[in-house]
Amino acid sequence: MPLVLVSILLPIVAGALLVTLPRGDRVLSRAIGTVVAAITFGTVLAAGTGDWSVRWLSRPFESAFHFGATPISYWIALLLALCTACAVAACRVERTRDFVALLLALEGTMLGLFLARDLLVFALFWDLMLVPVFFALIGWGEHPATAWRYFIYNFAGGLTLLLATAAFGVIYGSTDVIGRGGAALAGGWAPWIYAGFAFAFLVKTPVWPLHTWMPPTYSGLPSPMVSVVSGVQSKAGLYGFLVIATALLPAYVHQYATPLMVLGGISLIYGAVVALVQNDAKRIVAYSSLSHLGLIVIAIASANPLALDGALVYIVAHGLFSAALFLLLGYVEEREGTRGLPRLGGLGWMNPRLGGALCIAVLAALGLPGLAGFAGELLILIGVYQAGYVWPVIVALVAIVLASAYMLRLYQDIMNGPQREDLPIRADLTWLEGLAVAPLLAALLLIGVFPKPLLVNAAITSAQSGTLP
Amino acid sequence: MGDVGVTHHVLGVAGSYPMLLALWLLPLAGAVICWAFGPQLRAMAGWLVSALVGASFVLAVLSWRDGTQSAAGAAGANQPLFSWMPGFDFGLLLDPLSLLWTFIITGVGFLIVFYSIGYMQGDRAFARFFAYMSFFVFAMLTLVLSDNFVGLLVGWGLVGLASYFLIGFWFERPSAVAAARKAFVINVVGDVGVMLAIFVIIVHVHSIGFGDTFAAAGTLSAAVVLTICVALFIGAAAKSAQVPLHTWLADAMEGPTPVSALIHAATMVTAGVYLIARCAPLWNASHEAQLVVGTIGGLTALLGAILGTAQWDIKRILAYSTMSQIGYMIMGVGVGAYEAGVAQFFTHAFFKAQLFLGAGLVIHALSDEQDIRRMGGLWKKMPFAFWVMLTGVLSISGVPGFSGFFSKDEVIYGALQHGHPWLDAIGIVTAGITAYYMFRLLFVAFLGEYRGEAPVHVGGAGSWIMNVPVAILVVPSVAIGGALLFGGDASPWAHFFAPLFAAQAHLAAAQTPAPAISENFTSVIVVIVVAIGFAIAWQRYATATAQRDAVDRLRTESEKMPAVLTNLFYFDAAIDVIFIRPSQALGRFFGQVLDPRVLDGAVREIVVTAGWLGTLVRSLQTGLLRAYALILVFGAACFIAYYAIAGAAH
Repeated sequence: MPLVLVSILLPIVAGALLVTLPRGDRVLSRAIGTVVAAITFGTVLAAGTGDWSVRWLSRPFESAFHFGATPISYWIALLLALCTACAVAACRVERTRDFVALLLALEGTMLGLFLARDLLVFALFWDLMLVPVFFALIGWGEHPATAWRYFIYNFAGGLTLLLATAAFGVIYGSTDVIGRGGAALAGGWAPWIYAGFAFAFLVKTPVWPLHTWMPPTYSGLPSPMVSVVSGVQSKAGLYGFLVIATALLPAYVHQYATPLMVLGGISLIYGAVVALVQNDAKRIVAYSSLSHLGLIVIAIASANPLALDGALVYIVAHGLFSAALFLLLGYVEEREGTRGLPRLGGLGWMNPRLGGALCIAVLAALGLPGLAGFAGELLILIGVYQAGYVWPVIVALVAIVLASAYMLRLYQDIMNGPQREDLPIRADLTWLEGLAVAPLLAALLLIGVFPKPLLVNAAITSAQSGTLP
Repeated sequence: MGDVGVTHHVLGVAGSYPMLLALWLLPLAGAVICWAFGPQLRAMAGWLVSALVGASFVLAVLSWRDGTQSAAGAAGANQPLFSWMPGFDFGLLLDPLSLLWTFIITGVGFLIVFYSIGYMQGDRAFARFFAYMSFFVFAMLTLVLSDNFVGLLVGWGLVGLASYFLIGFWFERPSAVAAARKAFVINVVGDVGVMLAIFVIIVHVHSIGFGDTFAAAGTLSAAVVLTICVALFIGAAAKSAQVPLHTWLADAMEGPTPVSALIHAATMVTAGVYLIARCAPLWNASHEAQLVVGTIGGLTALLGAILGTAQWDIKRILAYSTMSQIGYMIMGVGVGAYEAGVAQFFTHAFFKAQLFLGAGLVIHALSDEQDIRRMGGLWKKMPFAFWVMLTGVLSISGVPGFSGFFSKDEVIYGALQHGHPWLDAIGIVTAGITAYYMFRLLFVAFLGEYRGEAPVHVGGAGSWIMNVPVAILVVPSVAIGGALLFGGDASPWAHFFAPLFAAQAHLAAAQTPAPAISENFTSVIVVIVVAIGFAIAWQRYATATAQRDAVDRLRTESEKMPAVLTNLFYFDAAIDVIFIRPSQALGRFFGQVLDPRVLDGAVREIVVTAGWLGTLVRSLQTGLLRAYALILVFGAACFIAYYAIAGAAH
């Protein structure tokens, strides 16, 4: 069986088999889950850009089960496999077996999404990947309304995506078009198709004002799952813009660049300003995501090659640091029984390793030079400025200053200050917990220093040494 | 590699310079070792970092020839590093300017790190302190050794981080935590300014290298150069505590005293001076930029000095004096008197480090007492500290013969020479105020009778660790100015910087008419003003009458202090009202009103109904629901598997 298919099926099948294990054996299910996720990482790595295809429909339009990584989805798939492995390894929730099964199902469905080379398959997995999150919200979340809000919003997006896909298929004659040049569509129904795609992508990212499902979802989900959802699932929309909208409907991405940029800019500032005053640690990271991903939306709207390269670097960087942040905040919550900043403080004395890890994640999130976030941010802003958009750059620079304020507040209010009498004193990170976040933090440093492999845009890699386009 | 049609201008002679690489990386190694093996190293951490930073200094001295070489118009040494991304080639540049900064960072840095072994003794995070210090030295070297703007920005951000860690080193103190955050956020404002400059440079020069940018400086339009300079100056102002971005520096005194000496006096806060001196070709191309920077430098010098007269905390007095002295430096490099501004950095590094370390001796002996009102009479109890502080005060006040005199004179006369008589006047007035508040510090803390309650612990085993570095610093702070700066254009200093700044000096001389008064005449005026400042301080704090009822006098003085001074000219209040409160109010409005009530309103009804349904289903049979989910996912998997096998069979 081709490796790319193995990487998609393995976690799904393993997840289904896991449910047959005896209930309550958390160590075993966690171990199996971690091994499966690690093997999946290996197969994604080994599969490279090899693809596999079988025709599925020939009427009313051609469609195929076509899977294979594009240069962009290769990195996102690796990110996904890494985040899942880390999340499963550290998973310590009730009913571990079922939860790990859902996490693996989430990984498989999302790999299906990112590795799909056919639009219809992409749309199918778009809906499928909502299911594990929905059930996790129902079974482990804080309020069922959150689950429905998540589902209704994203399913509505899935619906417009499906309609747009069908329309595209009928007009173009085939949906086997992802990562294949020369399939651009224009005129007639094309603007509506773009609108259908754009709505789905904007909801998923999310972008202001479609974001209200996101803060409760991110704060309500158990940490291991939210680290995958915020780290990778939120990138599905951006990925869609990068490889579907930009490739298939370039005229409309260009035509509607300004509204897209305005929405991105509003998200950027709105998220940052709200994050300044939130007291729930997870909500701070949720709103910071709104802000950070707004920057990527701006990059996509600018359509500048440097900015698009920066977008991929930043997609991976954000995936890494938001996954790490959510896992670490999960550790804090497990230890102290709260994630409210006013009730936390002074943990740094007894938890130097937890504090150090949180510090690195926070610094990556606020764009410290040397870590991955900085490389992405810098490239994006250079590109956007080069494309002639001055105001979005100024807005983004203001947001960078705000990010340093809310991210440091998050870190300091948890770790610094006098040791509090009313908080239980817990042991520092165990080696397993440390091992679960270490790859994420190491990858942040590695990509920060050597971002080169993530630059997939030919226009830049062919630039002569020492000169920028 | 280099394609057709593009000539790259690289500063320095490209080649392989292993000593340069080693001196840059040794402090990083120190930081990593102390961070990873801190608990095992314990007291060894201090000795290790001292040894590594000392080794860096030795290598810097040995690199003298590399740094001062010149061939085919290229001055200094250039060591290529690696290509971060296509178009972003990193390298190290050691030329006279970065060599000077390297000497101070590693040389004065070594003395301060060594001193810290004594000062930080017994601290529960001893190794962590040295990890941060070592990391700072590495970051600062990255800043001054980079041969391009992005490398400089990396160093720029990393020194900000080191400063954040060290200000908030005692992180159980809420005041230290707040000060650290404030310093970091204001410095990010500066980082963002440098970033903006980089964007403009890339769009117009298509390169991030200093060489390419400076070579193109003449061809860029005036508006572009001005934009670049102003954006860079936002960075310089934040890092170097220039008005109105200065408010973090006094709060930064929450950090341990050696940190204040190294980062917030001798090195990091002078990064803005370095940046402007480095980008001299850009500033030379924009008269408006020179005017803006020179004026803000002058204002900062004056404002810092005025605030220095109203402080009681020994470290805060020194902090405002640092702000004021950097104002001089910025004024110097701003108006185009680069040699003078850089000279002021050079002498200031010695006498200000000496003053801070001297203050550290006092604070250490008085169990962390920092209020000079509760000192007094210390010259009898701590004669060594007294002599240290006295020589430092003489030097910073610009008493003739001391190092500070020569450099300050050059800056003040430089302003006149470059056609800014009123900046010259500000410089002179500030010199008088400086003499006043520095002697005020000396007299109140050291003369008269001891007014404190804390017992004075002096000496003890190991006190040499702190005394020796301070004693060594006294030598340059007294004598190096006379040795290097005396003689104007014929001085060793002018000779050393000739490859970088000589052309500019000739240009300025040709453009601006020679000032009506000579340098010697200016010096005489400065000396008279300094004497007046000294006399007022003597009259108010040192005479026998003043000593007799010192406690009452000092209390009256603090009670009658004008509100505008105790509120530090309301800069903090203004920042709070203009920026902080509105953004917090906006955040609360968005998060608590707009988000839940308006934006979410559309889907609320559906969600509530569905949520009710969900609860119903959940109460009926949660297990069933999960089974459905798994069947759904599993079904999809089977579906794909079927086609996979079918596909493989084809």
